[in-house]
Amino acid sequence: MKVNPDLDFIKYMKSAGGDTLKKCYQCATCSVVCPLSSDKKPFPRKEMIWAQWGLKDKLVANPDVFLCHQCGDCTAFCPRGAKPGDVLGAIRAYAYTHYGFPSGLAKMVGSSKNLPLTIGMPALIVLIMWALSGGMHILSSEDLARYGFGHFFGHWDWRWLTKNVAFIDIIMVPAFFLACYSAYRGVSTMWKDMEKNYDVNADYRPSVPQFIQQFLVPSVKEILTHKRFNECGTNKNRVVGHLPLLLSFIALFIVTAYSAFTQDVLGIFYPQLHGPISMLNPVKMLANVAALALIFGVGVLWSNRSASESEAGATATYYDWFLIYEIMAVGVTGLCAELGRLVGVPVLAYFFYYIHLVAVLMLFLYMPYTKFAHMIYRTFAMAFQIYRESDYVKK
Amino acid sequence: MTEQSASGAGAVLVVGGGISGLTAALEAAEVGRDVFLIEKNPYLGGRVAQLNQYFPKLCPPSCGLEINFKRLKSNRRIRMYTMTQVKSVSGSVGSYEVTCETLPRYVNNNCTGCGACVEACADERVDDFNFGLGNTKAVYRPHEMSFPMKYVLDKSACSRDTLQKIKDACKYDAVDLDMEAKTFTVNVGSIIWATGWNPYDPTKMTNLKYGQSNAIITNMQMERLAAPNGPTNGQILRPGDNVEPKSFAFVQCAGSRDENHLEFCSYICCMASMKQITYIRERYPEAPIYVFYIDLRTPGKYEKFREKLMADKNTHFIKGKVADIIPEADGVTLVAENAVTGDKVQQKVDLCILATGMEPAIKSQASALGLDVDSNGYVVSNADKGMISAGCAKKAADVVTSAQSATAAALKAIQAAK
Repeated sequence: MKVNPDLDFIKYMKSAGGDTLKKCYQCATCSVVCPLSSDKKPFPRKEMIWAQWGLKDKLVANPDVFLCHQCGDCTAFCPRGAKPGDVLGAIRAYAYTHYGFPSGLAKMVGSSKNLPLTIGMPALIVLIMWALSGGMHILSSEDLARYGFGHFFGHWDWRWLTKNVAFIDIIMVPAFFLACYSAYRGVSTMWKDMEKNYDVNADYRPSVPQFIQQFLVPSVKEILTHKRFNECGTNKNRVVGHLPLLLSFIALFIVTAYSAFTQDVLGIFYPQLHGPISMLNPVKMLANVAALALIFGVGVLWSNRSASESEAGATATYYDWFLIYEIMAVGVTGLCAELGRLVGVPVLAYFFYYIHLVAVLMLFLYMPYTKFAHMIYRTFAMAFQIYRESDYVKK
Repeated sequence: MTEQSASGAGAVLVVGGGISGLTAALEAAEVGRDVFLIEKNPYLGGRVAQLNQYFPKLCPPSCGLEINFKRLKSNRRIRMYTMTQVKSVSGSVGSYEVTCETLPRYVNNNCTGCGACVEACADERVDDFNFGLGNTKAVYRPHEMSFPMKYVLDKSACSRDTLQKIKDACKYDAVDLDMEAKTFTVNVGSIIWATGWNPYDPTKMTNLKYGQSNAIITNMQMERLAAPNGPTNGQILRPGDNVEPKSFAFVQCAGSRDENHLEFCSYICCMASMKQITYIRERYPEAPIYVFYIDLRTPGKYEKFREKLMADKNTHFIKGKVADIIPEADGVTLVAENAVTGDKVQQKVDLCILATGMEPAIKSQASALGLDVDSNGYVVSNADKGMISAGCAKKAADVVTSAQSATAAALKAIQAAK
């Protein structure tokens, strides 16, 4: 095998929490103690040597990198302190930047140096839109109680689309579609690279429904049950945090969809549907429970991560903490804005609502480049794992 | 009881009566120094006495030890104390005062080694010389060539009735049940620490399941199984059911080169396993043997030894550390990743040998005694202070290196203790 080591990649690995990588002496303890590793070509021993050699193309086209859930068993048993779990995390961080589109944005988000820009850009976008909308003045308490945040971006009398929704759509929809496109592009490139890497020459390819039914749905089912997390030994307690967090995201998605439908579709015919949803509405209750579950879940992950850094010697990385802070910001600002509204303090309510919008925009826009991308890449890596064992590939 | 033992100027204390301590004591005494040799066990010879064969020529331990015992017996400058340990050290180079404690043997110098006491003894104790592979009577001779040739009584393992029977059985009045621990001090110019090593506790590697299957033994237990004076008279049988194993596996680096256990390479384990392959081959010429390793470290002339063994078609060398052992009804399954092929290996064998490493025996006591130790617990020589380390107290080493370092230590100790 011809080896072309990539020094920049090794330097990146060192900066992204994989600085222990060079300690590995290939004893292969990690591949055996890993509860998620398969019997054929197990990980992460091979990834360690590829990373040492700077073979980044092999790494980013390797589903095993994404199948790793960073249980930490490999790191606990590693005789050299090479922390394979942290190294694979750093490889994933690299891969999200590698597959990210546009690459300038991906690189910006991936580096802690650019944090002021990473926060400042969305903050400025929302601020400019707020100023342009003409809604940038504090409501009276009565108006806040009546309209909620429905007049944040002002109000017009065009019945087909409220001004507020129009502005939120202008901000969020392009961000959402950019993220979706970037994720799609990244995943399809990854899939092609993986096929090439595994020498998949399938005579028959699954159709889209077949693909969804046979590969994607089983993967999603497995994710929802947290089966692999539960197989972890060392960091098992993360399920307590990750499961409520995942479910809260699903619940908040449902709530957002419901809200958009009632206010922006049904609201055209029944204007009384505009304004804050009653606290007794089951959907609002679900939203509040989900918000609390989100804060609880990310809080558990926060404290687990701090504990594993101080006790088990896990490396603190920008990649890990950025997402924790970001989700915590979304949850806490959302809740504070709601409390501000209920208590009737417009200044606080609007202040937190502004930050909430910025945090949500960051979550959407940066999804494909941050650790949040694991929801896409890992899901498809799991699908690929099933695919490579399926009859399409095996003959 | 305390007594004072004075000596001439420039006397040397040697702590540990294994091959290194014996060598150092003899070298120092034979050039005219007074030497105190103390040994924790009731016998001299240390770890070498427990081996079946040792490097470099695969000699039985009697080969090297007996000649040293003979030199010892004929040298009046060496005073030897078994069952004795250092309690404290005071003073400085040239005039150390060392307090030692001798535990009661309950058998005095009248003992002729006739063995009548053993026949009278009904109680048993775990045979630590054989690493727990069986029991001995509570009054015992540590092994058949133990020196000094005296029995030892483990009083705590005996009933009152047994003790009386043992005492009555001895017609030389050698059993002294009232013997007490004895403290004494020696004045010496320098001290040689030849405190040796202990096998690393294999239960600390939880994934290797030692103690959960009779098919998992340590390399030192393998030495005892292969030794003619061992629990099986040299037959290699699986402990517990005494089955003749049809397949074997060696688990290299069981605790060594592992920062969770012993951070260093124990140096001898690769060669020890190679040597033990020859034990197996003598008894089971065709049995498949699997050696799981990270790297094979057979330095210098040992390379030839390795090459010869690797030519055996029934001996398989697999690059990959065993990270899981699954106890089975009959034998064990070892799990490793073969780092050359990249696939996981599950190998079922009848008997597996953990190549456990060397842990410096003095580890916990060293700092209390004012010794310099390195991060792994090995004693660092300080010639200015007259504190010299030798053998496996200094670093993990084979017998030949230990003997060399012991001779060097003797010279340094003589120079320091003017």
